[in-house]
Amino acid sequence: MYLIGNIALVLGVVISLYSLAANIIGIRTGDRKWLESARGGVLSLVFIAAVASFLLFYILGTSQFQFSYVAAYTSQNLPMVYKLTAFWAGNAGSLMLWTVLLCIYAGMIVFSKEKRNPMIPYVSSVLLINILFFFTVMLINGNPFEMTDKIPADGKGLNPMLQNPGMILHPVTLFMGYVGLAVPFAFAIAALIMKRMDAEWIKLTRRWTLTAWLFLTLGNIIGAWWAYVELGWGGYWAWDPVENASFLPWLTVSAFLHSVMIQERKNMLKIWNVSLIILSYILTLFGTFLVRSGILTSVHAFGDSNLGAYFLIFLAFMAMISIYIVMTRYQLIKKDSNPIESYFSKESSFLLNNLILVVAAFAVFWGTMYPLISESVTGTKVNVGAPYFDKVMAPIFLALILLMAVCPLIAWQKAAFDKFIKSAIVPLLMGLATAFLLLAAGVKGLYAILGLASTVFMFGTHVMEFVRGIHARRKATKENVFRAAVRLTLKNQRRYGGYIVHMGIAVLTVGVISSYAYSSEVMKTINKGESITIGHYELTFNGLSETTRNNNGIVVADVSVAYKGKAIGGVKPEKIFYETWPEPSTEVAVKTHWAQDLYVVLSSWETKDKVTFMVKVNPFVSWIWTGGIIVVIGSAFALIGGRPAGRIQPTSVTKS
Amino acid sequence: MSQNKKIITGLAMGVAAILIMFFSTMPAAGSKEITIDDLVNNQEKFKGDYVMTQGLLNKDSIKWNADKIELEFEIFNEGEGSLPIFYRGVKPDNFTDDVIVIVEGFMQDGIFEAEKVQTKCPSKYEGEDMENYDGEMHKKMFNDKME
Repeated sequence: MYLIGNIALVLGVVISLYSLAANIIGIRTGDRKWLESARGGVLSLVFIAAVASFLLFYILGTSQFQFSYVAAYTSQNLPMVYKLTAFWAGNAGSLMLWTVLLCIYAGMIVFSKEKRNPMIPYVSSVLLINILFFFTVMLINGNPFEMTDKIPADGKGLNPMLQNPGMILHPVTLFMGYVGLAVPFAFAIAALIMKRMDAEWIKLTRRWTLTAWLFLTLGNIIGAWWAYVELGWGGYWAWDPVENASFLPWLTVSAFLHSVMIQERKNMLKIWNVSLIILSYILTLFGTFLVRSGILTSVHAFGDSNLGAYFLIFLAFMAMISIYIVMTRYQLIKKDSNPIESYFSKESSFLLNNLILVVAAFAVFWGTMYPLISESVTGTKVNVGAPYFDKVMAPIFLALILLMAVCPLIAWQKAAFDKFIKSAIVPLLMGLATAFLLLAAGVKGLYAILGLASTVFMFGTHVMEFVRGIHARRKATKENVFRAAVRLTLKNQRRYGGYIVHMGIAVLTVGVISSYAYSSEVMKTINKGESITIGHYELTFNGLSETTRNNNGIVVADVSVAYKGKAIGGVKPEKIFYETWPEPSTEVAVKTHWAQDLYVVLSSWETKDKVTFMVKVNPFVSWIWTGGIIVVIGSAFALIGGRPAGRIQPTSVTKS
Repeated sequence: MSQNKKIITGLAMGVAAILIMFFSTMPAAGSKEITIDDLVNNQEKFKGDYVMTQGLLNKDSIKWNADKIELEFEIFNEGEGSLPIFYRGVKPDNFTDDVIVIVEGFMQDGIFEAEKVQTKCPSKYEGEDMENYDGEMHKKMFNDKME
């Protein structure tokens, strides 16, 4: 098996080199045979990567400790699901995952219905360069099939923090997003090389980009949920460098998804779009570099390795090639770009949205890199933690929410101001009413209230868009409300899918703002029978007990909970003593209510009857997950039914 | 000036305003990363500064007052002085010998008053070698605590 694994890696390098050469020869000579051969090469890469991945799953699942990767991340008693997901617990396996996804994506492209498109050989070449890089790095520096000198009796086991359901989905979804961005990048580069300045590459990759964005979103949301229940990770979002690294491409792709609509419809912003997708792709490499190199202090960083250097070199290489290609095509792209006609139009509002998102990305980048920047300038490493990000990002996001509120109401080309006011008035009043209600209820915090009111305003305009659309449809077709709603949405899935995404963002924002501004925390040591009061909750400690699960010793605190004086069951926070880990790890107990989460941590104990708890009440946290799900549904909706915008008439209701 | 240029100028000014805003918040929102030695020897210099420092935990120095939720401990670097730390909060996970502790807070009369205490394993996602693992110790720790 050692042989199969390593041969697969070597073959990976050889075949990707060959296919790359075959593509180049084919493009040069125009000989179809070479191009066919390159296509065959890509197919065999898919096969090889699949074999290697199955092999890795197999040795992990059967605990073959003669492989150092298996011995380093699993142990005999680890539950099967974590044995298998240890695939992406370390560097070597993560590279394997990246490679196999890349190969599958490349295979899907060269065998898609566009396979006769002259762009495809270029696209496949760009992807092959990526595949070549990953196979090479695995072979030199991160071989998942490396053997141990001596076969250990048992493996070291998986870090307790990684033994969480989040481990099953978070890395895979995030990687699918990361890798997915290589596809639109490859198409953009192909279009530039071929000097095809139309929006064809955008139309062909719309689904790819949207899928990548969907998985990035999903990956981040699952990651946030995981960090929320893992004590040492500082809550669902802590502005940790590694978290920021996955947020950066999300921001730039979000900008890209909006600006390509302008290029599709209006033939504008060509250079901008190309730059954005190149930037997004580079940022995925940059994120990987940050995680693997250990140059920044992070709680999520992998063990130090020199993998970071490889990524940095590859990043620099790809960045330079891209910049060179863009520069040489600059005049050509510029030549047939259309200007914007009015300040007050959908075009300029999209442009503003793009600028805000890119500025947000830059602010995050700047804050993440600041320790390195300040060290090189002043000699002192200054870490900008959450306070910087809170201060800077809050106004940026507020601006973004407000823009999202007015954007759907602004028509293409030149919008009429009075019509705009007419349609904005109801949602605006809803927002103001929210602010007044919150103030009247005695809620403190001006920023949070401002944020919540704006979010309601934003949600309101989107609901009104649906209402108006349904109303107009019913007038014309006499359908009932439900039927009209469904037909309307199905008829223009891109637009209404987008609106659903925005509404999901609104729900998520409510969760973020309220849990951030209004969470409360109590730490207390209590005896058996005593209780802790926090908000409307009263928690009574009934005793400590011990059990075992999967051979791990577990200490459980039995706590009963009452809400507003009424018993609502209990929570069982735990400390787990993992067999393979020297220190116990904390298992948080969360009791979710639609309006708040009760978050209970068993911190330590003096005796069996005297225990220290940390209890938090986090308002509206479940809204974050709900909002995330709505966003994913909305983007899936836009993905499935979307036809290129060119064929659809611009259909803003407010359009005159 | 063309319409396009006007719009771009306007947007550029907006961007500039945002940039100025976040460059100006930078020093105030940051925490300086200082070594323990520097901190102990130049206490006056860092008075009132929000500082981040890290060192190895001295397990014997841990004093935990459960009733008041107060934690006192010392961190040190090999061959350097040690720094006494006071923290109003609970022990984080992995609070044991040879773990790197990252603290953030203020120097106050020779004692570091921490607002945040985090632990970092030398290699975060890799297990210890099994030779170093003492199963008996585990059971003992577990039983000691339960009594």
